[in-house]
Amino acid sequence: MSSNKAIVSSFVEGAPPGELADVVADIKALTISTPSLLSELGPAFQKYNEEQLATVKLPGGSQPVIVSSHSSLGGGRYFDVESSSSFAFDHATQKASSVQSYVLEGAQADLVKSTLKSLSTYVKEHFQNATYGVYPIENDSKIAIIIVANKYSPNNFWNGRWRSLYIFNPTSGALEGSIKVDVHYYEDGNVRLLTTKPVNSSVSSGSGASIAKEISGSEKKYQEELNRSFTSLSEGAFKGLRRQLPVTRQKIEWDKVASYRLGQDIGGGASRR
Amino acid sequence: MAADPFDSALDLLRRLNPKHTAEHLNNLISLAPDLTEDLLSSVDQPLTVRRCKQTGRDYLLCDYNRDGDSYRSPWSNQFDPPLADEGGAGGVGSGGSNEGAGEGAVPGERVRKMEVKANEAFDVYRDLYYEGGVSSVYFWNLDDGFAGVVLLKKSSPQSGSGGSSHGVWDSIHVFEASERGRTSNYRLTSTVILSLATKGATLGDVDLSGNMTRQVEQDLPVDSDESHIANIGRLVEDMELKMRNLLQEVYFGKAKDVVGDLRSIGSLSDGQRDREAQREIIGSMRR
Repeated sequence: MSSNKAIVSSFVEGAPPGELADVVADIKALTISTPSLLSELGPAFQKYNEEQLATVKLPGGSQPVIVSSHSSLGGGRYFDVESSSSFAFDHATQKASSVQSYVLEGAQADLVKSTLKSLSTYVKEHFQNATYGVYPIENDSKIAIIIVANKYSPNNFWNGRWRSLYIFNPTSGALEGSIKVDVHYYEDGNVRLLTTKPVNSSVSSGSGASIAKEISGSEKKYQEELNRSFTSLSEGAFKGLRRQLPVTRQKIEWDKVASYRLGQDIGGGASRR
Repeated sequence: MAADPFDSALDLLRRLNPKHTAEHLNNLISLAPDLTEDLLSSVDQPLTVRRCKQTGRDYLLCDYNRDGDSYRSPWSNQFDPPLADEGGAGGVGSGGSNEGAGEGAVPGERVRKMEVKANEAFDVYRDLYYEGGVSSVYFWNLDDGFAGVVLLKKSSPQSGSGGSSHGVWDSIHVFEASERGRTSNYRLTSTVILSLATKGATLGDVDLSGNMTRQVEQDLPVDSDESHIANIGRLVEDMELKMRNLLQEVYFGKAKDVVGDLRSIGSLSDGQRDREAQREIIGSMRR
């Protein structure tokens, strides 16, 4: 029984962007004889939501906020600096409730707020639909900076997610983290793009503005690099697997295929060069 | 109404990371053992290569040349490991129908002759299009004709230029040919499993993996068994050309576009200004 729980948990954690509800519906249909299994998935839902940086609109709020291990208060509650609130989050239904006022205090409060402000300008300039947050972590010794952008188009059978997570250490000036892209295309098939780019840089001045500037620069560079990799995969590995046409640039004459000889020049060098 | 578990299993496989289909399939089977047969016969997985002991040539393994734990080589027509009871499970007399694809179906004499010719023809095809790789064709008898599977596999090794990239292509073309006098009706279902990965110091890890399936049905004239091979050859060649273009579009066009939809390299407000300026120019030209 525990192995079935592990299997089903792995399905939850592997749900593509925006498709958690579909995956859960499939799991329900497959475990109809053991309906209790679904109620044991709390930890899997929590892991999925915190890793995938789930976003949720607070009751009465206008902007979505982020659910992550860095904004967790424990006991199923999370906080958001921008809206100065904390809230309870139901990991299975992805709904927020019990909103309370949450006022940020402590050593990093000013840095968190100035980083939020600069980050907001950057995010608005480059993401159509992104949520961002900055949180003091590890007993106020560091701050976590998160950007998550989702675009779902299930009617066209694709969904995508961009996640950036950075930890800034004000003492050393180190800015470390990663950018992850996840794209799913599933019309008469199943195609997935999964990328991970570690970021290791430093911000000497340590101001919110310079942190946002460093992030902006890294992300621009990364996206350009990723775009180049599509071209090089297409021109390299993909072309090397199967030619569009034989070297002769003509389709095979199947009526005469018995007269073709392997590895011989067929109208100009079909053999491996 | 509850959804059908088999449909739900297939839906799940359409959503979970296609790079690990084999693992998901095993998990689904252990979760819902009733679905084992249906899932194994309808979910395509990357092909395994084996060397034929009799001829020394490589061939591909799939459900259609399997009998228990043994696989039939298309080059020697022998099972490896040899079947325990030679007379029983495998052999079928000439013209005898041996229905039930897979499960070690050995074609009758006429269909085996066509299978031999098809293997030669697709070996040429493989060389011309893949310039390497492995191909195998397996046929089996049907009541009103025959059916078969054309398999192609190619891996492209590390290619230099700063980073390292790797790719694997698996083609699985399953067809049924219903013979109707001077024409034959062909129904082809083709799946290509394409896995690409690259990494680099500034790029990090990129994995682009997946599978796509397409179907086609066509009536074509037949005047000899050779024309069957030619018909199947053309169908598979056209399908692969179509699918290669489709894969190129999805893997390198669509994926890149979605990334661009998530994050814009240029500034969104500049883009907005440009579009407004353009509208103004167009508007002034109309006046």
